[in-house]
Amino acid sequence: MKNLLDFFVKHSAWFVLMLYVILSCVLLVRNNPYQQSVYLTSANAVCATVYEGLSSITDYFHLKGINEELQERNAMLEMEVVDLRAQVNDLKMQLPDTLQLQPVLQHFDFVVAHVISNSIAQTNNYITINRGEADGIKPEMGVVDQSGVVGVVNVVGKHSARVISLLNPDMRLSCKLRDSEYFGSMVWDGGDPRYAVLEELPMHLTYHVGDTVMTNGFSTVFPEGIIVGTVVGPAHNGRGNFLSLKVRLTTNFSQLSSVRVITNDMAEELKALELPPGDSIARKEDKP
Amino acid sequence: MTKTILQLAVLFVVLILVQVMCYKILLLGVAIPLVFIYLILRLPVTWHMNITLTVAFVMGLIVDVFNNTPGMNALCCTLLAAFREPVFALFVPRENEMNNPIPCVDTLGFGAYLKYMSTLVVIFSTLIFLVQAFTLHNWPLTLMRIGASSLLTIVLLLALDSLVSTRREKRL
Repeated sequence: MKNLLDFFVKHSAWFVLMLYVILSCVLLVRNNPYQQSVYLTSANAVCATVYEGLSSITDYFHLKGINEELQERNAMLEMEVVDLRAQVNDLKMQLPDTLQLQPVLQHFDFVVAHVISNSIAQTNNYITINRGEADGIKPEMGVVDQSGVVGVVNVVGKHSARVISLLNPDMRLSCKLRDSEYFGSMVWDGGDPRYAVLEELPMHLTYHVGDTVMTNGFSTVFPEGIIVGTVVGPAHNGRGNFLSLKVRLTTNFSQLSSVRVITNDMAEELKALELPPGDSIARKEDKP
Repeated sequence: MTKTILQLAVLFVVLILVQVMCYKILLLGVAIPLVFIYLILRLPVTWHMNITLTVAFVMGLIVDVFNNTPGMNALCCTLLAAFREPVFALFVPRENEMNNPIPCVDTLGFGAYLKYMSTLVVIFSTLIFLVQAFTLHNWPLTLMRIGASSLLTIVLLLALDSLVSTRREKRL
C-alpha cells in the first residue's frame, strides 16, 4: 500500500498533466455551438464587464469611417424612399381602393446593441454584444448592421449575448441572388474575412459579377431582402452538380460597432407550425 | 518568495488582459501575438510541476472563456508547461547553479534565454494553430500562421522581458 502511495506521489505530475489534458480535450470536443453554458463563453458577466471597458476605449478609433459609411447609406436610403413613395402613389392612382398595401416588415422589430467584443482572426469567430435577456434578446435572433448581415444570436446572458459571426464555418445562411428565386447557402471558408462562398446553387443559374446577394426570408431569423454581399466570381471548390460563387461581404467585420438585433413576434407561431402535427396538437393541449 | 508570487500574480492579470486584446489583432492577415505565455516561461524552475501545470491550465482556461474557444488555450498551455522542464534542461547546463530560479535574460544570459524562449514559443504556436485548424485542410495558411506568429511573439517577448526585468534597479 505504501509503495502504491509512493508511486502516486512520485509521479503526481503525470497524473495532473493527464487530468488537465483530458479536461481541456473534453471542453474542446464538446465545442458544439448550440450547447454551451453562459459561464464558459464571453456572454458571462465578468467577460462582458471587461469587454465593455476595453471597447469604450477602442471604439473611438473607428468612428470616422463608420460615420462616413452611415452618411452614405443614409443618402442611398433617402433616395430609395423618395423613389418608392413615388411608385406607390403612382400605383394608388392607377388602382384606387383595390390595392391594400401591407407593410412586409410589420412582424419585425429591432433592438439596437453595441458590439463589445469581436474577432476575425480565429477559425470560429464570435461577437459579444451588450444586450441580453433583460432587453428581450433570445437565442436564434438575427443580427444586422447598417451595411448587411452580421450573424445570429447564440448564447444569451443577463445583460450580454454571444453572436455567431457570419465568419464562422458553423454558420450557414440561406441566401438568394436579387432578381432570381434560386437560393443557396452562404458559408465562410476560414480564409479572408472579406469574402464568403455561396454554395449549392443550381448549375444552370446565370449570374453577373456585381450581382447583389440577399437573405431569402425562408427562416424566421432574417426578413427577406437584407443585403449580404456582392458576387465577385465563381469559387474554386465547386462540387459536382452545384455552382459555388465567391461573394464579397458588404459588412465590414473588422469595424463593427453598433448592430441591430432583429426580433420577430411571429417566430414562435411559425416554429409551432413547423413541428410535426401530433406534436403541435399536444402542445396546444398542454397550454391551458 | 512573497515578492515573486505577488509580481507573478500582477503579471498574470495584466497578461490575460493584454492577450484578450491581442487575439483580436491579425497582423498582415497571418500573425497573432501570443504574449500571455510569457508568464508560463517565467514561473520559477524550482516550483513543483503540479503548480506550474495548474497555473498554466487556469490561465489558458481564462483566456479561452474570453475568446470563446473552450479548451483550446487550456490544452496548449498545459502541454507547454509540461514541455518547459525538458527544454530548460536542454539549453541550460545543470551545473550552472542559479541563485535566482526565475528564467529570464538576466539569470540565463541572452543566448540561452533566446534559445529556451523561442523553442517554447514555436512549440506553443504550432500546438495552438494545429488545434485551431484541425477541421480545415488549409495547411499552407496554418504553416504561415505558425511561422509569422512565432516570429512576432519572440520579438514581443524579448521586449516584454526587458520591461519586466529588474536590472535597472540593480544598477542604481
